[in-house]
Amino acid sequence: MEQLIHITVNGTKEEARVPAGMTLLEFLRERLYLTGAKEGCGSGECGACTVILDGKAVTSCLVLAVEADGKEVWTVEGEASDGKLSAIQQAFIDEGAVQCGFCTPGMIMSARALLMRNPHPNDDEILEAMSGNLCRCTGYEPILAAVRRAAQQESEDVQDER
Amino acid sequence: MLGNFDYVRAESVEHGCALLARTPGAAVLAGGTDLLVNIRNKAISPTLLVDFKGINEMGGIAFTDGVRIGANVPLNAIAEDQRIKTAYHALFEAATAVATYQVRNRATLAGNLGNASPAADTAPPLFVLDAHVEISGPDGTRRIPVRDLPVGVKKTALAPDEVITAVTLPPLATGVRTKFVKKQRIKGHDLAIINMAGYYDPSSGELRIAIGSCAPTPVLLPPLPEPVRRDDPLDDLTAALNRIAQEAVSPIDDLRASAAYRREMIPVFLRRILTALLHEGED
Repeated sequence: MEQLIHITVNGTKEEARVPAGMTLLEFLRERLYLTGAKEGCGSGECGACTVILDGKAVTSCLVLAVEADGKEVWTVEGEASDGKLSAIQQAFIDEGAVQCGFCTPGMIMSARALLMRNPHPNDDEILEAMSGNLCRCTGYEPILAAVRRAAQQESEDVQDER
Repeated sequence: MLGNFDYVRAESVEHGCALLARTPGAAVLAGGTDLLVNIRNKAISPTLLVDFKGINEMGGIAFTDGVRIGANVPLNAIAEDQRIKTAYHALFEAATAVATYQVRNRATLAGNLGNASPAADTAPPLFVLDAHVEISGPDGTRRIPVRDLPVGVKKTALAPDEVITAVTLPPLATGVRTKFVKKQRIKGHDLAIINMAGYYDPSSGELRIAIGSCAPTPVLLPPLPEPVRRDDPLDDLTAALNRIAQEAVSPIDDLRASAAYRREMIPVFLRRILTALLHEGED
């Protein structure tokens, strides 16, 4: 039985009829063609499908699209604006925190959720926030450096605006 | 697609329980972090998922006489609550030990208990804290000790048309200390090879220990015959508790560890717990 859902994705209101068994990840990728979030393990272990649901980082492979009805979702596609990469995206490039790139959208969304709740995280807080995101290429040090750099950059940007 | 099932948001506890009662193969959907994985792996194939997450009375952390944690409260909300960290430290430690940060934004305390894994990290702390679960069904609400909820591997005392609505913890006497420890293969996300929680009331000398991952359900050890004092020799205390524990557990070999290894780890973890409960903060 299909159900009507309304989800705000990256600021845009979406309406769709979806089967109850469709995950939020499938809805994003196969209905909205937002293919940034990836399916790695499909069981909440790897974090490649991480998106932000009502302000919280979640593994979208373990959320049903119908559970997200009425909620707000942010994906990596919502990071860049006006053709300019976000501070987190740029920091991942500058620190060499991207190799194959499969884990990167999930890493970036975990980092985004962290900076939303804690704009000045210490290393322990960064590691805790990123602990549900596996990377098989970089060895994590560049990722830690990228999140550090992004937090620094975003706090400087905020000061510039004042 | 995870599977072919229907989904309904319960409008009230009564509505949800009525759906569970009249729909064969219906299942309760809490955080979904175990249920949806089990559906994906075809371990279960429910016909209907009843989602109770919108129900107010199943949400929130309320401190009154003790604390009531609504069944819909995610583990991160428990881990981030400073009052719980201070008053019920072992529960805080266990809540942060479950799975990963993202999973803890969805996974609930009630779901961790209702899933009835022998390795459930939050069970040993709730056993020693004498926590209760509030259970609702078509015939109303009942309360049972958390230690009576699991009755076997992935089996609970819940009827098919019942749902956990909250977990309640009694107030603790001044000076009571609690501690949780977990052994896992890697530092990150892994199920426990063994987990353990302890409770010590220095004024009465009451010591409680619960052990997980070493029997079909977590085990609350029978009490020691004598009150425990801070200056009791640690070696003697560990040995006495280890004798009780080895009788009480029945570990198995599995992909995480052998039964023999689990038995070997029990005195190691008992000593760590006792050290924390009896001597932490001393010079």
